[in-house]
Amino acid sequence: MRMKHLLMVISASSIATTAFAQAGPSAGSGIDTVDVGTVTVTAIGTTKNMRKIGYSVSQVQGKGLVSSGESGVIQALTGKASNVQITRSTGDPGAGAYIQIRGQNTITSSNQPLIVVDGIPVSNSSFGGGTDGVVQQSRLNDLNPSDIESVEVLKGAAAAAVWGTRAANGVIVVTTKKGKRGMNIEFSSTYAIDQVNREYEKQEKYGQGTGGRWAANNANSWGDQIALRNGKDSINAAGAKFVADDGTVYGTIVRKGDKEVYNDQNREQVFRNGITWNNNLSISAGNDKSNMFFSLSDWNQQGIMKGLSDYRRTTARLNFSQSVNDKLTVGLNANMAKTVSNRIQMGSNLDGLYLGYLRTAPDFDNSDYKGTYYSATGVPTFNAHRGYRRYLGNAAPTYNNPGWTLNEQTNTSDVTRFILTPEATYQWHSNHKLIARLGHDMSTDRRITYFPVNSAGNQANGSFTDDHIQESETSLHFINQGTHKLGSDINLNSTVGYLYTYKNIYNIGGSASQFIIRDQDRFAFINSTTENKDPFNSFSELLNNRVYGLLDFDVKDKIFLQLTGASEASSTYANRFFSPSVSLAYELTKDLKPNDVLSYAKLRMSMGRVGVAPPAYIWNTNFVAAGSYSGWGDYLDGSLYGGSIYRSSTQGNPDIEPEMKTETELGADVKLFENKVSLGVTYYQNKIEGAVLAIAVANSTGYSNQWKNAADLSNKGLEIDLNVSLIKSDDFNLNLYGNLGRNRNTVEDLSGAAPIFLAGFTGASSRAVEGQAMGALWGGKWARDESGKLILDGAGFPTVSSEEGVIGDPNPNYRGGVGLNGNYKRLNFNLLVETCQGNDMWGGTYGVLNNFGVNPESATDFTVSAADAAKIVDYRGVTLASAAAAGANGLAVVNADGSITARGSLKDWGAGNVWLNQYWYTSTGGGFGSVSEQFIYDASWTRIRELSLSCALPKAWSDAVHVPGGISVGFTGRNLALWTKFKGVDPETNLTGVSNGRGLDYFNNPGTKSYLFNIKFNL
Amino acid sequence: MKKKIALIFSVALAVGLTSCKKDIKEINKENPGQFSDSDPVLMISGAQLANVLVNEGEAARMAGIFAGHHVGFDRQFVSYNDYVVNAGDFNNPWSNIYTEGVAQCRIIRAKAAKANNKQLNAVACITEANLLLTASALWGDIPNTEACVDGISSPKFDKMTAVHNAAIALLDSALVYGANHANYSGAYVGNHNWAQVANTLRARAYLHMKDYTKAAAAAANGIAAGKDLLANHSQATPGAWNLYYDFLDWNRSGYISASGSHMEKLLDSSAIFRNNAKTDESDRYAYYFNDAGYTPLDPNWDGIFGATANFPIVSYVENKLILAECAIRNNDATTAIGHLNSVRSDNATNIGGQYDDYVIGDFGPGQMVPGTTVNNAISKEILVEKYVSLYGQIEPWCDLRRTKNEIGVTPNKGNQLPQRFLVPQDEINANKNAPTAGSLFDALELWPQ
Repeated sequence: MRMKHLLMVISASSIATTAFAQAGPSAGSGIDTVDVGTVTVTAIGTTKNMRKIGYSVSQVQGKGLVSSGESGVIQALTGKASNVQITRSTGDPGAGAYIQIRGQNTITSSNQPLIVVDGIPVSNSSFGGGTDGVVQQSRLNDLNPSDIESVEVLKGAAAAAVWGTRAANGVIVVTTKKGKRGMNIEFSSTYAIDQVNREYEKQEKYGQGTGGRWAANNANSWGDQIALRNGKDSINAAGAKFVADDGTVYGTIVRKGDKEVYNDQNREQVFRNGITWNNNLSISAGNDKSNMFFSLSDWNQQGIMKGLSDYRRTTARLNFSQSVNDKLTVGLNANMAKTVSNRIQMGSNLDGLYLGYLRTAPDFDNSDYKGTYYSATGVPTFNAHRGYRRYLGNAAPTYNNPGWTLNEQTNTSDVTRFILTPEATYQWHSNHKLIARLGHDMSTDRRITYFPVNSAGNQANGSFTDDHIQESETSLHFINQGTHKLGSDINLNSTVGYLYTYKNIYNIGGSASQFIIRDQDRFAFINSTTENKDPFNSFSELLNNRVYGLLDFDVKDKIFLQLTGASEASSTYANRFFSPSVSLAYELTKDLKPNDVLSYAKLRMSMGRVGVAPPAYIWNTNFVAAGSYSGWGDYLDGSLYGGSIYRSSTQGNPDIEPEMKTETELGADVKLFENKVSLGVTYYQNKIEGAVLAIAVANSTGYSNQWKNAADLSNKGLEIDLNVSLIKSDDFNLNLYGNLGRNRNTVEDLSGAAPIFLAGFTGASSRAVEGQAMGALWGGKWARDESGKLILDGAGFPTVSSEEGVIGDPNPNYRGGVGLNGNYKRLNFNLLVETCQGNDMWGGTYGVLNNFGVNPESATDFTVSAADAAKIVDYRGVTLASAAAAGANGLAVVNADGSITARGSLKDWGAGNVWLNQYWYTSTGGGFGSVSEQFIYDASWTRIRELSLSCALPKAWSDAVHVPGGISVGFTGRNLALWTKFKGVDPETNLTGVSNGRGLDYFNNPGTKSYLFNIKFNL
Repeated sequence: MKKKIALIFSVALAVGLTSCKKDIKEINKENPGQFSDSDPVLMISGAQLANVLVNEGEAARMAGIFAGHHVGFDRQFVSYNDYVVNAGDFNNPWSNIYTEGVAQCRIIRAKAAKANNKQLNAVACITEANLLLTASALWGDIPNTEACVDGISSPKFDKMTAVHNAAIALLDSALVYGANHANYSGAYVGNHNWAQVANTLRARAYLHMKDYTKAAAAAANGIAAGKDLLANHSQATPGAWNLYYDFLDWNRSGYISASGSHMEKLLDSSAIFRNNAKTDESDRYAYYFNDAGYTPLDPNWDGIFGATANFPIVSYVENKLILAECAIRNNDATTAIGHLNSVRSDNATNIGGQYDDYVIGDFGPGQMVPGTTVNNAISKEILVEKYVSLYGQIEPWCDLRRTKNEIGVTPNKGNQLPQRFLVPQDEINANKNAPTAGSLFDALELWPQ
């Protein structure tokens, strides 16, 4: 209530805003990392000349975000700044993305940077994102990229120290557009087509079944040879049947004869061209006293998955600023967004799309997935679900038919978001001004998850969850800026600030299962009995306040020194803690004679230390609702046994301290050959001490985890940003630009704790391991002797090590981008090629497709002589000869000359050839075996990230249609080509979404490539 | 003007600071979604559920595969069936035992002692002893004396014998505290009496240690007919229903089969088929197996492992068969057959089928129940009856290892049955005193091969 009063006071009190003075846009890409003439926006939302800055900052113009054609601001930053790694969760519409600036800085807390929009912290949370479910959005997706003037990425601790806790992972400072003098109305419309960019191949030689024989409803495609069938299924006319909704009848198959392979039809059922319409209207107006920017936008996207996959975001923004008199300016930035989307279940999930789709046997036709099952006696079951694991639909299939996943299940998210930022600036003294800024960021997200009766697995009797998440953050920011003259050559700018933030998250919802009415879809709890209803809620809040000061010394306009200090109090820590920083810039060229080679040079150095407050609610060991879980889904819930509350297995710690990040950065910005070449180089190293996490402890202590300041991490790296003006003339401009980033992360110390599980599965996970880079891939390995040689069993197959260990590193050795942009007359163009090298990924899907016999690798064949066939054995110890004698044509057959042709391949691990077939792949050699090591692949990639062309139409044309400001048309291609050795899916996806666990692929929904067509009218 | 604006700013600041005034030191003190303490009476059923999860859930399924009760049929279970496992496969039950079981029992015992609630103390002792006995039978040496002690981060591993003795001591003290009741049985259902449960558990422990005299003495006061300690699964909903049901029909259908298992062979026409003139196992076959499920023959999630089938944790049948075995180890064939016949008639009553009383003449070379000697035939028959009766439980695997596979279960791979669980990866990672994971085929201290 009182908050409302405050808002009124501020808005009624009317004061002055910092006039936005963004320098002119650079051409094409919008990348302008080392342009020393421009102004940049600092962490607290004020502006500063780039020349005077002693730390590295990457600036991206709004134009570059828009031309990328991404719906979200984060996603659009991809490839535009060195050491800023953006990983989309999947290619689903609106999918969230993971941002990592200069490596990972903490273990289990968030590694995401702070997002500051117009001087106020806003939420970029992403709730959910495990190994199953649907892909979640990032809340920064709620901003319309077209509203953005510029984004600065502050990577280092020094730049960010004033923000304390939340800035340890860097700060992304977003500045929205302001009205400009005069009036400008712009309307733009974009039509985009998305396509799947990488798919798994499936074999087409062997049918559903096991042991080389066809078997209905079998999980595997280890059946017979399809080509050897007689051509037509034999049907038992008196048997049970499935009648599809379109009338197609599927009878009980007595003998499989159909030779058709349905891989293409089944693919058709799943994918389509995704279509996006994006319309934007903006009005900008301004005069001496005031300016305003108003925009409306509508992003309407259908995903590449042919079903309930869509994303629609409608936004409105009003940025307004008025000078009341020469001392006082007041303004308001207001943004609202409504985002509605429908997602597709994915991942390790019997009701997920790829799991059912990719496992489907090549000889099974998925087209008819819904209908009526008639038993042999004619008893019907309506809304029956037909899939390859239940081809008659007599019960819910073990895995969903992809058609069912796409069209029958509902997974909506409905988000309403408001960000309001009133601001006042008052020049209370000729050398001092006071800025007061209030921010209120609020979002609600209503998520519905609905599985109709007959969905696979646990949802067979229906299940429904209604989940509301409400997040809000209020901040109050006062800044006083002063200028002082300390002698003839020294100027001092002082800034003193106070920032208060209060954040809370409230989640309430419930789920219901085992529906009473089984054939009507209702999102209502009334459809379940009491014991099958499960309400849940949670609430958490955080309070911070911070006092900070900045002193900017300017000595002779060539040496720039900044000292900052911030004292922070957090509700999660008992005492205040201090974050200091220092940065120094020296403009070398001021002391050199002007020359043709070196036009400009600045050396810079900065050091900073940022304290990070510990997470909330970790002081105490709590008592929690009792429940025991196995690793396979079975569990016992104390609340069903009269209620039991016992001690949590996580041990609290009242002595927890803030984490401390210390960073040192050295760099230079250079311009050569009359400013034709700009080069920025930065070296940094940082150390994070006392990272707070719930370390895994020996369970025999009675706890599984204990909160501790347990870990030390370090990052060091190098960043290079380059811009070369190749051609500059009135008609033709051509720039070469590029960036390269390298980061080395090491988990230095875990206080002797066990490797920490970040995300993944029992057998393959991403972990923090002492001495390794964060996110190290961890899992089962082959047994090896001291010399590293595989230990083979008697038959010559490798054996399994009884202990697990590190099997890969998902962090790249380096990442970089190189591009060309410029214009030729009215034609603007930009090309960006990006690469990421040396990162590993666990190909869980690939390994599992081998298990199912769907992977082409598992469907090769080979021929050996009768003599060899008598010796060579499979994993069971059965020889090729005796397998052939079994007479299953999908396993091994005897040829006329006595030689034997068999499915699978021969492999020699050092003790002679062995036969890799079903019995190997469904056991140790497949994705369900315990050796994850064998599925770690190099996931390096290179891609054409973006190719865009735009052209302003001749003025005569636009005048002819009464568009005085001109019309331009454009094309952007995104992810046009991808080169990678990783099979099946774009390695730039991540199963566990925006979590700290990286490098996992397990039936992730695929990534996309896109073609965008744009037209823009300036009215 | 200037003053006015300054005033407005000050008011704004003052309102700003006070309006959202929450005490920064207080708001994160207590987690609003959890509690800071609990009554031990409310804690005990949680610890019991952990005990049920271990004896009926993941650990029991793995033990059942190693014992030949089950066949690992799909996914990871194909490897398990080949005895290919790694240390990570054993993390969960270990965690259930210690964090949800033993640790809670020790807190309950301390709190109960303080409140002088002897009955609760006795039940906590029995629950803890049950957990420790099961854990020691699965892993051999395990932490006990230093386990769940605040301040000890790497508890040492105690010898299997020592852990068994400690479990017996706990059961003894439960009997001293007074266990002649059925109070504090949140996870269980039925007519059990804690004193009888404690005595059968003592008998089980002595049997593990091959002390047949003490085992028989304990079992003499063990569970009576109809007094089984049963895990309560009377609600047909996930989180409360039978854990085998959950696995077989709900969460992991097709992963485990009965097809080709030693158990199937015993109950179906094969060289070791148990039917004879006095025995007809066909009702038991139908109760145990389901041939219309996910695999050629499923463990019967519509019968013995039905959704609402309560699961025996300690039973009359086990107690009787311990008595029978102890008698035959003492060469008292008549007593042994007497106990065996009680179990057979219990089968006939509860499951159906034909289980006529055996007499001594039925045993021996060339007899209805063959063996190298009469006593050998009786001993084998007792062990096979226990193997079959305790379908899905962990004890049959213990018997196989203790008796050096006297009943001749054929290993799935190689020529040896697994002897133990591997030390879990989580424990190896964090406990400096943990041994290496070891091999499935390392014999345990009490059960050399």
